[in-house]
Amino acid sequence: MAREVARSAAVPRVIPRNEESRATGKPGLGGPRWFLGALADARNDTALTEGPGRRGPLFLAGCALLFGFALVAALAPLLAPHDPRLPVGPPLAWPTRAHLLGTNDLGQDILSQLIHGARPTLIAAGWVTALATLLSWLVGLAAGFARWAEGPLLAATDLLLALPNIPLYLLVLTLLGPSQRNLILVLALLAWPAFARIVRSLVIGARSAAYVEASRMLGASAGHILRVHLLPATLAVMPANLVLTARFAIAAEATLAFLGLSGNALTWGAMLSWAFADPLLFLRPVWPWLVLPPTLAIVLLILAVTWVGGGIAGGVTPRPRPPAPLAQDASTDRHGSSPRRTPARDRAAHAPPAPQWRATRRRRAADRR
Amino acid sequence: MLAGIARLVARYALLAVAVVLLNFFIPRLLPGDPLAFGSGEGLDAATPLSAAAQTALRDYYALDQPLPRQLLAYLDGLRHGDLGWSIAQPAPVSGLILAHLPWTLALLLTSLAISATAGTAVGIVAGWLPGTFRDRALVTLAGLLAAIPEFLVAIALLLVFAVGLGWFPIFGGQTVFATPSENGGVLRRVLDIAWHLALPATTLTLVGFAGFALLARDVAAALRYEPWLTAARAKGLSEMAIAHRHALPNAALPLLTFFGLRLGAVLGGALVVERVYGVPGLGLLGFEATRARDYPLLQALFLLASLGVLAVNLVVDVLALRLESRSGTRGG
Repeated sequence: MAREVARSAAVPRVIPRNEESRATGKPGLGGPRWFLGALADARNDTALTEGPGRRGPLFLAGCALLFGFALVAALAPLLAPHDPRLPVGPPLAWPTRAHLLGTNDLGQDILSQLIHGARPTLIAAGWVTALATLLSWLVGLAAGFARWAEGPLLAATDLLLALPNIPLYLLVLTLLGPSQRNLILVLALLAWPAFARIVRSLVIGARSAAYVEASRMLGASAGHILRVHLLPATLAVMPANLVLTARFAIAAEATLAFLGLSGNALTWGAMLSWAFADPLLFLRPVWPWLVLPPTLAIVLLILAVTWVGGGIAGGVTPRPRPPAPLAQDASTDRHGSSPRRTPARDRAAHAPPAPQWRATRRRRAADRR
Repeated sequence: MLAGIARLVARYALLAVAVVLLNFFIPRLLPGDPLAFGSGEGLDAATPLSAAAQTALRDYYALDQPLPRQLLAYLDGLRHGDLGWSIAQPAPVSGLILAHLPWTLALLLTSLAISATAGTAVGIVAGWLPGTFRDRALVTLAGLLAAIPEFLVAIALLLVFAVGLGWFPIFGGQTVFATPSENGGVLRRVLDIAWHLALPATTLTLVGFAGFALLARDVAAALRYEPWLTAARAKGLSEMAIAHRHALPNAALPLLTFFGLRLGAVLGGALVVERVYGVPGLGLLGFEATRARDYPLLQALFLLASLGVLAVNLVVDVLALRLESRSGTRGG
């Protein structure tokens, strides 16, 4: 699960854009528009890719589902027929008109719990995504730009990437006290390393570009270079980062809630945790109503995010590279804008999305050389 | 080569020290008193402790001493393999972990072996012809499988094959209350355990398979357009020879690295899946420890899991180094 955060699934094609801007020496948009501009660029880039990355019916279905979930989360108190925390019916009852999905062992209405469970799940996903993204970019930019910070930051990133996260979550959350807030904090603090590495590698790719050197030569401050040149170069992976981190957050939140680490928050994972706390669960005839609704809700939400991500961030299929990389290299070199590339570096730059961040060690080996 | 290995070992030794220190500092730097829950305040008192028991625990872990003293005591304990005493159960933590370790290892080893080999093979076959139906089917299915958290896959399999079809047991690692006559024979016991572990192992294998297949597919799809493969093709080599002699050795490196990176996640998955199926391994132990706030146990679990993952990663990196130097991409 967890380190799957940045599952290859959908890192978009960032390289061509960089190469293009490197070749043309265009610094990209300045001012506040660069953010939207870079996002749009990333999207246009990937909208053109063939394969499952195309925006098709799945993307629309995903959007509709997400919108539906958000609506349910927002209107939960209005939609839910009962108070999800009160015993409003007989325990373990079959679905009736009063309780459309039946009741659990405490006599709480399952439909109401399901509806109320949407909000904490989405809120947790939102917070974890926002915080982890912020951290990834801070660490990635710092590690890519400030050489003195590179060593310690990379060491911390490596350490967090290598640690098996479930035992770490168990320890930290038990120590902090299981609650939804602590769960969000812990997930956010541990979810940033994968993308921090990607951001750093993009910054490293951009920082020696001709336009950055020109800007530095003209006396631009470090802050200016960071803001106007380096940050935009990393924004192409932002959509992929958002989608994958959100998906990771949903999966991890559900898993930890299932392990009973979300305190008394009412989430889908917690519903499953309560159902499985009953050792005789499967001897109860109503078990499908206890297990299936929250399971399907989690799966649907993850599918929705995945499908939306496929449309925003590009597909899994890397576009087959035209088999003439030598000529391409020569042309970029003639512009004098790209550093001399060793074959390995070249391979790293052209690698399809997945290995690019995953085989980080390989990449670092290439950097060192 | 030797220098490279020495550098790797030094790097991992440093990481191991960091893990040990992290393990020491996490409980001490987080806010709160580890024994506060034991004083029976509020609803939090899962395990009420007497004042005498609290003092004994404080003494045992040197919690009243300054931090450096505590660190020394902690390191001294580690040196003797002393991971502390469990709060919830009257046993040393190391003994508890050793007793539960075989279950988790059995699950991990079988599922990793099957998923890594099968996933790599299927992924390479699919990625060799990117964009075909075969490839898209694999990417779609494996993508879904990799996105869904393990415990939901586990629940799905449990519902279908244990509850619905009744082919496999619903809970536990072996038949409990087996009568002596039934319990006779090692073979019977092994078969019984295998029958109980079939579904959890299948869950982990499926999820692991998805990860490995997707990566192998990406690696193969990327290799396909490498100029040196085109050169091999131009020389007139058969596709088979190209795949075996040229592509596979180069695909091995990222796959190996991925195996190491993936281990922590697979381990986490195993722990969660154990909770679903009630396999009495480290996962169930940890799950019960969170209920009872058994900090020493959780701490030891984290320490051992991290050190184990680091150790395997060291081996993987040394192997990768060998592969690299053999294929001549890195001298020395």
